[in-house]
Amino acid sequence: MTEEQRLAILKGALTDEERAAFLKIIQEGDLVGVSPTQVLLHGPTKRLVNTYHWHSPNKGIVASYTPTDRDVEDHFGIFRGVDQVESFAQASIVSCGTFLECRKQNCTPDQLMGKFIPAFISIGQVNFHYYLESGDTYICLANIKFYKWRQMVCDGRIYKVPKDLDIDKYFSDFTEERLLKYDISKDFRLVAELFDITGRAILIELFKKNE
Amino acid sequence: MERQEILEGLLEVLRTVRTIDPARLEGVTEETDFLTDLSAPSTELINIAAKVEHKFGIEFEDDDIDRMGSKVKDVIDLIILVKARGENK
Repeated sequence: MTEEQRLAILKGALTDEERAAFLKIIQEGDLVGVSPTQVLLHGPTKRLVNTYHWHSPNKGIVASYTPTDRDVEDHFGIFRGVDQVESFAQASIVSCGTFLECRKQNCTPDQLMGKFIPAFISIGQVNFHYYLESGDTYICLANIKFYKWRQMVCDGRIYKVPKDLDIDKYFSDFTEERLLKYDISKDFRLVAELFDITGRAILIELFKKNE
Repeated sequence: MERQEILEGLLEVLRTVRTIDPARLEGVTEETDFLTDLSAPSTELINIAAKVEHKFGIEFEDDDIDRMGSKVKDVIDLIILVKARGENK
């Protein structure tokens, strides 16, 4: 993203009413019903999350994405494993970390964007079990293992979603206990297991100190 | 609290860090670097910081961690800074 694009996003700020409503969600609610376009502001053309279906701010999240033809271009129609990791990170450490930092600072993600850049710190083990093609919808189930000093560590899994399933409805009564046990229907097909996916919101000034 | 006393406390913390070979802790000085001299993974610095908080009864701010260097003296400086900040509150 160019500096001009970043500033344009910051300039295209929410109205006072929209900001107040978003702040109420941040302080009292969760990400279900919030568009990832309002949370994942860095690299909008590389956003790999469509919808948040379940969220417990201190415990974890369930989010979905459906790869497009552009996502699988030049890769045999298959969604790359590395993009699955990126998608999982966006759904988990970036979305959940942004939400908690906004709650702490009582601000919205666009205001945070001027201060921090979300960055990968580490990727632990990743095991792939199956593949995803363009048009396949998958979910990321992420469990927050650690969060402190703007650094978050998540474990989780990616599952291919059964055709025509209403994901919002399926996860409407989901619980933290079920998340920890990956307690979902066997109709979901395990695609990947991810361990110790770690990211941190780093001060922009530290990124640019060597420029 | 003197720097030597903090260093000894820090060594106690480091002995509990699984990824640091105890043999490397012999002869640690303030110039020792966690990453290059002790071969600690960079991700371990956060765990060390968390253990240091507990050991010294202090609380780091987010910005403290942003600016923390990877040498023993950087952590000692930070502990002294945070302790002084707590005493001035």
